[in-house]
Order: sequence, then C-alpha cells, then structure tokens
Amino acid sequence: MKDKPMTRPVLRIENLCKSFGATPVVRDVSFDVHPSEVIVIIGSSGTGKSTLLQCLNLLHRPTSGRIFLEDQEITASGMNEDTVRRQMGMVFQEFNLFNHLTVLGNVTVGMTKVLGMPAEDAEKKAMNELERVGMADHRHKYPAQLSGGQKQRVGIARALGMSPKVMLFDEPTSALDPELTGEVLTVMQKLAAEGMTMIIVSHEMGFAREAADRVIFMENGRIEEQGPPDRMFTHPESERTRKFLSIITTGNTDPPIGKAT
Amino acid sequence: MTPFVTMLQFLLPGLGVTVSVTLIALGLGGCIGALMAVFRVYGNPVVKGLAVSYSVVVRAVPVVVIIFILFFVISAFIDLSPFMSGAIALGFASGAYQTEIFRGAILSIPQGQMTAARGIGMSKAKAIRCIILPQAFRVAIPSLINEVTLVLKDSSLVFVIGVPELMRRAQYASASTMEPLLAFGTAACFYIVLTLVLSRLLETVEKRFAVQF
Repeated sequence: MKDKPMTRPVLRIENLCKSFGATPVVRDVSFDVHPSEVIVIIGSSGTGKSTLLQCLNLLHRPTSGRIFLEDQEITASGMNEDTVRRQMGMVFQEFNLFNHLTVLGNVTVGMTKVLGMPAEDAEKKAMNELERVGMADHRHKYPAQLSGGQKQRVGIARALGMSPKVMLFDEPTSALDPELTGEVLTVMQKLAAEGMTMIIVSHEMGFAREAADRVIFMENGRIEEQGPPDRMFTHPESERTRKFLSIITTGNTDPPIGKAT
Repeated sequence: MTPFVTMLQFLLPGLGVTVSVTLIALGLGGCIGALMAVFRVYGNPVVKGLAVSYSVVVRAVPVVVIIFILFFVISAFIDLSPFMSGAIALGFASGAYQTEIFRGAILSIPQGQMTAARGIGMSKAKAIRCIILPQAFRVAIPSLINEVTLVLKDSSLVFVIGVPELMRRAQYASASTMEPLLAFGTAACFYIVLTLVLSRLLETVEKRFAVQF
C-alpha cells in the first residue's frame, strides 16, 4: 500500500444528501479524499453510488450538505459550477465521446474551448494524454471506429486533458464486454500508480483489491462501511457488506436454475 | 427549337434572382430555425413559449399571406425593396419549418453528449454551440435538403410583389407571346434543374460531414 501522509484533503464531503423529489437517494454521506488517494465505491445497484459521484462535480446539485474542493466550498451559493467541473475529470459508463470529433478533437475541445489554450499547445498536451492511455495512434479516428475499451480510454484522456485535481469514474467498465475491461483497468491502475486522486464507482472487485487505498461500501444511500481493501474484503464488519461481497465474489447473483447434476 | 432557346434567354436573368431569393431565405430561415429550436429545447418557459408560438403561427399562415404582410405592412415603416421583403418573408416562413427540423435533430442527440460537455466544464450555451448543434446539423441535413427544394419552389411566390424572378418573367413572357405552355414549361425546366443541382450539392455536404453513432 502507498504511503499516505496526513495532508489537507483534496475533497471533503460533509453530510451530503440528495433527493429526487421526495425520494432520498444519498443520505448524509461524509468522507475526505486525500491527495493521490484511490477510493472505490461499491454497493448494489440503486444505492446512490452514481448519484453521489455526480453530486461531487455538481452534475447533480446536492439537496443539502457541503463539498469542499481543496479549501473552496463548491456547494456555496454563487459558486460557478463550470469552474468547479473543469477541475474534476469525469469518466462515464457510456463513454459519451463527442461523436462529431476525432479522438484528438475529443481531447482538445475542452482545452481550447473551456481553458482557452492555443490549439497547438492543446494538441501537444492531448497527444501526451493519448500516449498515457495508449491511444495516440488512433488520434485521427472517430468514436464510431473505436471499440468500447478504446472509447473509454479516450474518455479518460479527455478528462486528463483538463489537468483535473481529482478524477471521477462512474462505472467505467460496466458497458464493456468482459474481454475489454482489462485495457481500461490497466490504464486506471497506471494513473493510480502515478499519484492521481481517483474516486471510482465500480463492480470490479479485483481492481478494488489491487488499486484502492480505501473501499467504501454503500447501502441505501448511506456509507455502510469503509476501510482498506484488505480488511474490507477479508473481515468486513457489517453483515450487509459481507452479504454483498459474497454475492459479488461468487460471481453469480442469480439463484441456480434447474441444477444439473 | 428556336422559340425555346429564345425563351430560355429571356428567363435566364430571373434565374439569378430566384437563386438569390432562395439562398437568402434559406440562410435566414436556418438562423431563425436553429435559434428557435434551441429556445424550444433548452429555453426557459418565456422563450420556449415564444418559439412555439412562432412555429405554430407561421406554419398556419400561407406563405403568400406572409409575403404580402411583410411587403405592405412592414415596408410602410422601413424602406425595403420588393426583393428583400420577399426574401425575408420566405426566410421567416422557412424558419418555422426549420425550427421543427432542428428541434427533432437536437432531440436525437444522446443526453450523454450534454452531460459530458458539462462534465469538462463547458457552460450550457457553449455545450450547445460546440457539441450539440454541430451534431444536430449533421442529423438535420436530409430534412434540410427537402426544405431547400420547398423554399426554392416557394420563391416563385414572390412574383406577386413584382420581384423579377423566374416566375415573374415567365408570366410576362406568357402574356406577351401568348404561349403560356412554352413560357411556364421553360420555367418548370429551370426549377427542375435547380432543384437537382441544389439537392446534389447538399448530398455532397451530407456525405462529407456524415457522423456515425
């Protein structure tokens, strides 16, 4: 495990709540994220993991609670959401690459149109990021010409291009064929090793075990349990965590159908 | 054959006028349509209401009526040539149809495109301009080709306010030669050729900018 000196948190979440109408989805979630920390959020579907993640960069506006990015309270009224979002990279389950732009265009568009970088500098930086995810050779292709894994790597490069303080991954491998998840996880693992601060909503337990500094188990919109992966996966304290992990790790959530003997 | 050639030569100056009126109308209609479509999809209730009323009212009024209103009413206040008021009236009418074309195109762009654009810190306006509209425009091209042919044909209506385009000249020729079939038949040929050329041009554009999803 990596050394984690006690530093000022990059992100501090205090009593975050999010409801859609009368339905509470995230309930009173608090945690700190330290520089270079890799946090994997796990839990069954519909427990508010993705909503929590999208609250962090204000794609969903929290109903109550506070979020600090470094020393700045980004949930404060009058805060410019766009300024907040350009400091956090987001990677989506469905990739959401810009279909009308090439791979290179996807990575540069934020730099030129949002950060106002000159086209040349943006291209240079974009090539660096594409190099990092192993997609530099495909820079002139359009999203439709890429496999899912390649699309997601471009999605990661696009987020990296903005030089984010923290990267948010919303189930980055869930839409991929099993044989394509590896290339994406490898890239993420590399980023983690390079010291990127990452928050990842994922069902990839193997990845969580290897790359995470901390695993957060969410249930019913709350943090049920959190801790280093070693402890979480071997000696979970909560009964619910144990149940969830046993379902996930046996790799089959369905009851066996007509047992063949 | 000679009367046909003579007729061609007589109508030819009208061709430029027809094409100009059509292009101005399409351009104006495109700007209005794109703006109104954005209002309808993303606007607050006020601008949305404005865009809906525009689209509903203008599509309910015959183009000729719009041409007359603009020519007689508006030109009482500002100095507009028949040519310009005709082109503007056609653009105003086409804008309503193009609003619907662009609205459909915008709605066909996956929601994730906007989310991703906002995710890298784009403002909503910038996301619409840089991400949504370029894709919507590509989706709209097939319907726009259809709109081009409609506007081209509607441009003949500005003859009612005396704009010397193809139709006006054909009518004039028909009256002076007493050969309506020749005059209007030649005009029809011009329209056919124009339509084919313009559609072909746009199909090239369509192929050039095709986006796969």
